[in-house]
Amino acid sequence: MITAAETCDFVNEVVCKPTNVKELFEFANFGASQISRTEVLILLAGLIPVLLMYFGLRKKSTVPGKLQSVVESIFSFIKDEIAVGVIGRGGEKFTPYLISIFMFVLVGNLFEVTPLVNFPVTSRMALPLFLSLLTYVIFLVVGVQKQGIGYFTHLIWPPGVPVALKPLVGIIELVSVLLVRPFSLAVRLFANLVAGHVMLSLLLASAYFFIVQPGGGEYLIARAPIGAAWFILGLAIYGFELIVSILQAYIFTLLSAVYIQTSLHPEH
Amino acid sequence: MEAAYALIGYGLAAIGPGIGIGLIAGNAVQAMARQPEAAGMVRTTMFLGIAFTEALALIGFVLFFLV
Repeated sequence: MITAAETCDFVNEVVCKPTNVKELFEFANFGASQISRTEVLILLAGLIPVLLMYFGLRKKSTVPGKLQSVVESIFSFIKDEIAVGVIGRGGEKFTPYLISIFMFVLVGNLFEVTPLVNFPVTSRMALPLFLSLLTYVIFLVVGVQKQGIGYFTHLIWPPGVPVALKPLVGIIELVSVLLVRPFSLAVRLFANLVAGHVMLSLLLASAYFFIVQPGGGEYLIARAPIGAAWFILGLAIYGFELIVSILQAYIFTLLSAVYIQTSLHPEH
Repeated sequence: MEAAYALIGYGLAAIGPGIGIGLIAGNAVQAMARQPEAAGMVRTTMFLGIAFTEALALIGFVLFFLV
């Protein structure tokens, strides 16, 4: 972001975009090594939930300690509110999957507001796309298991559609269920995190530019209050992004559960 | 210049979802005020509705980066 602002040609360009947009879809390596920062963070995001779950639920004491009560409340929230609350009957067996994606996405999102890391791993398109394709495969398999091959005709023509409308409804439903669903599930998470990350870096980089750069101490009295205002706004957005990361992890899990529910109980 | 067009496109794409999210949240508040015991269910449904509506604006946002 800072390099994009420094190399921008303000005379010819109306809007300056960072030149490294491709990085959103690729992993850049650490120097000459084959391991990138994103991969290390993905590993951490996988490892932290496992450790949390292991140490939180190791003792199973009747009077829970601090860690145990936190882990148990997350567990029972996902189980009661999402797995059973949304999917309904037969939803308990999806609890492990839903808890795994919730914890993984939550930790991945919270890297955005972790000081010194400040990089959400879920803002790389590969990760949300993979998770949403996982959900996609699961709800298709569940639907076919539950209703046989008639699941697809049910999917395309909901019961009660007039014969004359069948071609139109068929195309709309086919596109919206089989193409838009996984795509929008992935893009929702990805774009929210990218937007938050870009917004934070813009505000905090503006504060940095106004106070520190360029031209040394020139007009510092005029510049410093503006920089301070940007910094305060950036900190406010920082708190907002904390809420957004938790909310997006919740929404991703909730929508996965809703999609599974539509193929498990088609009558609703 | 293309980036500027994409920005305008994003702005246009944000109008509809903005109105939609406002409607959803407003009606959810109304529902919660009328029937506080149903607040939990209303909140879940509200988040669902917001998530579906928001996706349109976000697709516009991603388009800005891709153009």
